[in-house]
Amino acid sequence: MLKSLRNAAVALTLTLATQGAMATETVKVGMSGTYFPFTFVKKDQLQGFEVDVWNEVAKRNDYSVEFVTSNFSGLFGLLESGRIDTISNQITITDARKARYLFADAYVVDGAQVVTRKGSDIKGLADLKGKTVAVNLGSNYEQLLRANDVNNEITIKTYDTGIEQELMLGRIDAFVMDRVSSAQLIKEHNLPFVQAGGTFETIENAWPLLNNAKGEKLQAELNRALIAMRADGTLATISKKWFDADITAK
Amino acid sequence: MNFDVTYFLEMIPLLLGYLGLTMKMASLGLVFALILAVNMAVVRVLKIPLLDWLVQLFISFFRGTPLLVQLFLLYYGLPQMFPVMVGIDAFSAAVIGLSLHFSAYMAESIRAAILGIDKSQMEAALSIGQSPLMAMRRIILPQAARIALPSLMNQFVDMIKSTSLAFTLGVAELMARAQMEASSSFRFFECFLAVALIYWAVVVIFTQLQNRLEKHLNRAYQR
Amino acid sequence: MIRLQKLVKTFDGHPVLNGIDMEINEGEIIVIIGPSGTGKSTLLRCLNFLEQPDSGLISIDGDTVDAARAGQKAVLKLRRNTSFVFQNYALFANKTAAQNIAEGLITVWGKSRADALAEAHQILADIGLADKADSYPAALSGGQQQRVGIGRAMASHSKVMLFDEPTSALDPEWVEEVLQLMKKLAQRKQTMLVVTHEMSFARDVADRVVFMEGGRIVEQGPPEQLFSNPTDPRTREFLRKVLRD
Repeated sequence: MLKSLRNAAVALTLTLATQGAMATETVKVGMSGTYFPFTFVKKDQLQGFEVDVWNEVAKRNDYSVEFVTSNFSGLFGLLESGRIDTISNQITITDARKARYLFADAYVVDGAQVVTRKGSDIKGLADLKGKTVAVNLGSNYEQLLRANDVNNEITIKTYDTGIEQELMLGRIDAFVMDRVSSAQLIKEHNLPFVQAGGTFETIENAWPLLNNAKGEKLQAELNRALIAMRADGTLATISKKWFDADITAK
Repeated sequence: MNFDVTYFLEMIPLLLGYLGLTMKMASLGLVFALILAVNMAVVRVLKIPLLDWLVQLFISFFRGTPLLVQLFLLYYGLPQMFPVMVGIDAFSAAVIGLSLHFSAYMAESIRAAILGIDKSQMEAALSIGQSPLMAMRRIILPQAARIALPSLMNQFVDMIKSTSLAFTLGVAELMARAQMEASSSFRFFECFLAVALIYWAVVVIFTQLQNRLEKHLNRAYQR
Repeated sequence: MIRLQKLVKTFDGHPVLNGIDMEINEGEIIVIIGPSGTGKSTLLRCLNFLEQPDSGLISIDGDTVDAARAGQKAVLKLRRNTSFVFQNYALFANKTAAQNIAEGLITVWGKSRADALAEAHQILADIGLADKADSYPAALSGGQQQRVGIGRAMASHSKVMLFDEPTSALDPEWVEEVLQLMKKLAQRKQTMLVVTHEMSFARDVADRVVFMEGGRIVEQGPPEQLFSNPTDPRTREFLRKVLRD
């Protein structure tokens, strides 16, 4: 009698414990909050494409997502020191990053885009020789530009914020940014800019994860959610909401 | 010139909501920095063996490297070496970083102020039987405070402004909020003017406090 | 009561005290005279351990310490038994006259604030500065500051009061009031060791006058003997100079 009672208690505890493990898991997602329209704050409200995608992922995986905003230059430090689980800030998959981190499948497929003022003589990548071109600090566009600039003829400047302002003021001749967000930027704010030429590198953006057991587990769970979201069109819908285009299609 | 007055006026109360966080960081930083600085200054002036050397090393390092580098080392670097340090949250790390950094400067200001006090003040205190430490506490430091106040206030003002670096650790304080709002509205001038005016107003208020404090500390020196 | 044996002090290898032997008896008023830079002030400062002697023995009430190896305890004992009056007064600039006098009573002698301040007011009345109790040093004249300085030394009820040229920095107008106060203390048989250039004070008040030169005691004796009948030519030369001025 006593023994069976004890067995029942043990069974009950086990069940509760398993349920506990299954229950909502907190995933901390780092983002800059200053990358419109991916992640930005308007009237104190953090929003954007990244936020919408993660809210959808959270629903499907039963995550409780906690967004951590930090200056872009601090994001990898946060990941590296284990204070966040991943970065959702249009992180491009590169060899160097792949060597160190696990990546979930790409959720955005895009390309580098030269943007300049209307009426500029810059019509594409080839016209950047002798010009001053800006990129955002911490992005990989500087390396991309350098790779296309064998004779070192482009002056490259890096900025933390305010790259659009600099182009407006004429302190730079062009900047390189990803295609979609630059289009969005021009449209939303009616900036006197044009996209010069086509994209010159296809890039895939994804969520980097620490290369450990938790990273592997998240990688599997995130990929499962992404596949489902692609299949039922949710991912495309979110993209169209922010960009009038599907930037998630492979 | 298209200054959006309405947006600007909306920004001010919104940003003021984050001033509390900024001031909390700065005032905690000030308290810890002062405690550290006073102790380090005393160690240096009394030339306490070994400790004096350590303090010199500390001051040299924290004055010789940028605050941002120190914050990165503290928040991102050390946890790689010592995993337990991941437990320190961003706010605490920012406060610790600010305290350590500014304590180095403050220690030198206080040390200079102590050295500016006539040697006979210490001798008089020793002659009545006080220990060097007690003489520091009762006689020298109160007088040094008056001399050091203007430069300490400068450093505090600097510290208030430096709290904006905490965004790099993920503390969404005043400056971070202005940056984030500006990045979606592209109203840089309005946002940063609002944030500049807020910092400025705070510094003006503290300068007023400083003037009053100076008057209070000067009362012993009026003929 | 206090005895010095072979006290030596050098600054950067330059000897300032060349082996001083001296005895100070209870109630005795000793005035040290001599040319500038002969170690008079250094001797006083060694007695208060504001300077650490290189070698020599200091005894208080038969309790002898090796000056070169005196520890915290011995230093504190010496300071509790001696009190110092500075040439430039050295009043605590951040404290009122009363607080200056009470400071040692509170922090060294363990009296309560109230008791210490009450005693400070008594001393202020004694030295004729009752109305200046709440004045800060900056608001006092040189003479008043030096009288408070003496009051501060009186507060510790130490065995010996050491006066390091107490009137040299004073406006001549204020010298007399300070000397009067010192005479008042002398009449009470307060043991005093005074370095001064006031020869009239030495002649009128001292029990013993000590003439120092080159870090040594050249000659000593009762004032009437030393002033009217000095034996050493160096003493004669010094007195001839200062008494002519």
